[in-house]
Amino acid sequence: MTTAPAETAFHIQEPLWKIRLRIAWKGLKQSWALFTENKIGLVGLGIIVFFGLMALAHPILMHTVWEPNIYDPFIGNDPTILQHPSPPSARHLLGTDPVGRDVLSQLMYSTQSEFVLGLLAAIVTVTIATSVGAISAYFGGALDAFFMRLADLINILPFIALLVVLTAFFDFGMIELALLIGILSGFGGTTIIFKAQALTIKVKPYIEAAKVAGGSDLHIIFRHIVPNLMPLAFLNMMFTVTGAIFSEAALSFFGLLNLRMSWGIMINTTQAAGYLLGGWKYWYLIVPPGLAITLLCSAFYLVGRALDEVVNPRLRRR
Amino acid sequence: MAEKPLLSVRNLTMIYKTRKGPVSAIDDVSFDLKRGESLGLVGESGCGKTSVAMALLRLLPDNAQITGGQILLDGMDLTTLSEEEMQNVRWKRISMVFQAAMNALDPVYKVGDQIIEAIERHERDIDPAEARKRVEALFHLVGIDPKMADRYPHEFSGGMRQRAIIAMALACNPDLIIADEPTTALDVIVQDQVLRELRQVQKQMGMSMIYISHDIAVIAEVAERIAIMYAGRLCELADAVEIFKRPRHPYTVALMSAFPSIVGEKRPLVALGGEPPDLLFPPPGCRFHPRCPRALDICKQQQPPFEDIGGGHYLACWNPAPVAEVQS
Amino acid sequence: MLKYIANRLLQIVVTLFVFFALTYFILDAQPGDITLQYVNNPKFTKEQREALRRRLGLDKPAYVRFFQWMGNTLRGDLGESYQYRKPVMDVLLERAPRTIFLFLTATLIEFFVGYWLGRVLAWQRGTGLEYGITVVGAFFYTVFTPWFALMMIYLFGFTLKWFPIGKFLDVTLWRAAPKGLTANQIFINLLLTMTLLAVALVVVYYLTRRMNPYRASLFRWSALIGGAAIVVGYWAASPVAKYAWDILYHMALPIIVLTLINFSGTMLLTRTTMLETLREDYIMAARAKGLPERVVRDKHAARNAVLPVFTSLIISLPFILGGGIITETVFSWEGLGLTLLTASTTGDIPLVMGSFLFIGTLALLAHLVADIAYAFLDPRIRYA
Repeated sequence: MTTAPAETAFHIQEPLWKIRLRIAWKGLKQSWALFTENKIGLVGLGIIVFFGLMALAHPILMHTVWEPNIYDPFIGNDPTILQHPSPPSARHLLGTDPVGRDVLSQLMYSTQSEFVLGLLAAIVTVTIATSVGAISAYFGGALDAFFMRLADLINILPFIALLVVLTAFFDFGMIELALLIGILSGFGGTTIIFKAQALTIKVKPYIEAAKVAGGSDLHIIFRHIVPNLMPLAFLNMMFTVTGAIFSEAALSFFGLLNLRMSWGIMINTTQAAGYLLGGWKYWYLIVPPGLAITLLCSAFYLVGRALDEVVNPRLRRR
Repeated sequence: MAEKPLLSVRNLTMIYKTRKGPVSAIDDVSFDLKRGESLGLVGESGCGKTSVAMALLRLLPDNAQITGGQILLDGMDLTTLSEEEMQNVRWKRISMVFQAAMNALDPVYKVGDQIIEAIERHERDIDPAEARKRVEALFHLVGIDPKMADRYPHEFSGGMRQRAIIAMALACNPDLIIADEPTTALDVIVQDQVLRELRQVQKQMGMSMIYISHDIAVIAEVAERIAIMYAGRLCELADAVEIFKRPRHPYTVALMSAFPSIVGEKRPLVALGGEPPDLLFPPPGCRFHPRCPRALDICKQQQPPFEDIGGGHYLACWNPAPVAEVQS
Repeated sequence: MLKYIANRLLQIVVTLFVFFALTYFILDAQPGDITLQYVNNPKFTKEQREALRRRLGLDKPAYVRFFQWMGNTLRGDLGESYQYRKPVMDVLLERAPRTIFLFLTATLIEFFVGYWLGRVLAWQRGTGLEYGITVVGAFFYTVFTPWFALMMIYLFGFTLKWFPIGKFLDVTLWRAAPKGLTANQIFINLLLTMTLLAVALVVVYYLTRRMNPYRASLFRWSALIGGAAIVVGYWAASPVAKYAWDILYHMALPIIVLTLINFSGTMLLTRTTMLETLREDYIMAARAKGLPERVVRDKHAARNAVLPVFTSLIISLPFILGGGIITETVFSWEGLGLTLLTASTTGDIPLVMGSFLFIGTLALLAHLVADIAYAFLDPRIRYA
């Protein structure tokens, strides 16, 4: 593809990577313009940025204004308050939990791991799904049949039940969970979507041209088919993030994960300590984490939907 | 022209409202159609042919708006009818053969049932057995095995679907059938058969017909009169023979030269430069002037009137081509 | 059609086998075995441990054990629960109807509510309403289920006291129940009547499918209302009405929550597919035929738009069933999901395996039924 002979008729001054970069930049700008047309997507993006800032702010706050002994998300305790949990106050904007730890600090600390979990799961999913989808579509035959049956099988499994069983039998931390979710959804339903898309790319003339030009199978798959799956991949990542954060929160809520802190665990702690029965009085223990999970999940979902309209012109409004 | 026309379109003007502004899709279009007559409407894609068809049935998208003119069907102005009144006109008076026959049949219902649906809509008291009989007769007429009425669209071949669509268009015995690119999706041999059948049926049943196509060769086979449309306006309208023998509008001349004649003499192929105009910002004056080899100064400023230049030959041009230019 | 069903059946048998194998190997892959419990017991020698291993068959190769386990499973022997000290099968057979009933009712309601709303939404496309509903829909679609369920319990259970909190029946009421009456009989009877009603409705739908939509919907609505009236009348007249009512009363809030959580996915998808369908030529053709807008919408657009929505429902069935664990946990609804979860946290391995098998099999069967139902909806599959 890049083996243009030196004596071509018109001399291209710029190096190829610069041209590619410029084209990519132009495409990005166009997509961004389309994306910004959708106000809902922008709201989602705003929420994600907000949580991103929260995640970044936590270590800074811990090193500056927050006294580590009091605000540490795991072992902090405010000795000036006699009875925990305590309702929101100037010192603790969202109050303290039954053990006397600052709720806001826990909330912000957990944000970091939610992002890591979501993005890792999404990257694993999309990497597997693009490669498997492209390979299945390109080669077809037995390989395709195998991967598609595998995807059907995974699709048919009750996802949460499987996660419950696996986390009950094995010790799962955040990273392991992210990998598991990534592998399951990567080989599962996502592959089917990617394969369908790859099939439409496979029949395009430039694939034929690349074949005639002597491109190897791998070259065609990874230089021509996979790059064209990227928009779909990006879109799909958003939905996977939603799924991953949700799964983690649910499993933590059941107390099945080996984690020190997460939004799900915050709800679990509240429930385990029996404060759920206290009614609205202890809202600050349960509303912030629950709302955080819901908001971040919706935000990724909304961005995904908005991207869907960018990627899939049929949904666009004229 | 003592006979009153079945359909009379007077100065029809329609726009599409878009975010960038109004698109002038049909501008000041007028033509008449007699009972039993067939008219061909020719133009390149995007010139507004389909918009005209959809305007006649008032099946325009939400952002379309008829801003002026009249559509008189037997003297009744369709543009002023209420939606319900219009529903009674559709199919009963004006029916349509759709462009993409592949998709004009609902995939989840049997083809026969879809035709019966139309019949029952307009003849409320019809006996189901009678409707069924009529479908079978129609299928027979268009050359499909009547048994196929109980099959689903996906079991039909392309040609059969197109025939089924034609049968459907005939179902309520309408006064006018609009055929929008009726054969474009078919291969050439089937195309020819279907066209011939369509023409035959139309003559048999004495219906009027409007054929819409970008392919003047197709139109030449079926239409008695031909209208040439460019960028939302009619530029020329005359008998088919007249249009072929004595085209006057430079655009028609260019179209004709792109249509090779086997029997006639050789003639130079005139390639039109440029692109059809952006109808968001139509050029002032004659819309064809930026591409016209014969453009004068007046063409840039004033819209030429669409007038009868004799013998029912209508033309909108300030500087028409001389009759002698095309020999055939 | 028969070929299609046979094909699906064969596929499901293969999938079930793979699923059973997978379940077994998850179990088998756990580190250690039961004899390690005694590793620090001085009275229990190494030889005795070996003897125990032999007796339990743990010395045999994995595949032999797998086929033994498989044979037992197929014979309905899932081992004994550590927790309840009775056969796993008995525990699960008692709990399965509760899950099936809850899941089935909620899914049906969810699907129809979502489909109906999506249809209306697509037709009345106004920007303000559209944005509002999309945001609300996205909220319900992604809301953290346990949290949302807890909030609902707070609101309707604690604050408003409209619905009971947790469990599927009122214990004090049931203590006075006539001898021999168990909640399960009621569950199974409720399921049966519901199935009969559903079959009757499908028959009515089939008979009216060619009618013009006004008449058809008249027939369908009267069939629905009439059928529901008969069912309600039958139950009201039965001697156990009080107990059935108790169960339904306890079920209301979980169903409301499940419906709220799940309907938005269907609604948003219906809206999208409706909007796509409306661009199809056959919709234009239907309008050109002079059909009124409502007929175009209900008979043509919605009928075609339901296909992808139904496919998506099929795909999400296992997920809904798995998600049922969360709902069952929050509402202390002792079904399969809650059983799986408590067994998981208490280390009751036979029960974990058993309930996982049950849930998985249920998901597979639901999938199969939905697949066959889809073939009836889409002639392109039926006559392929």
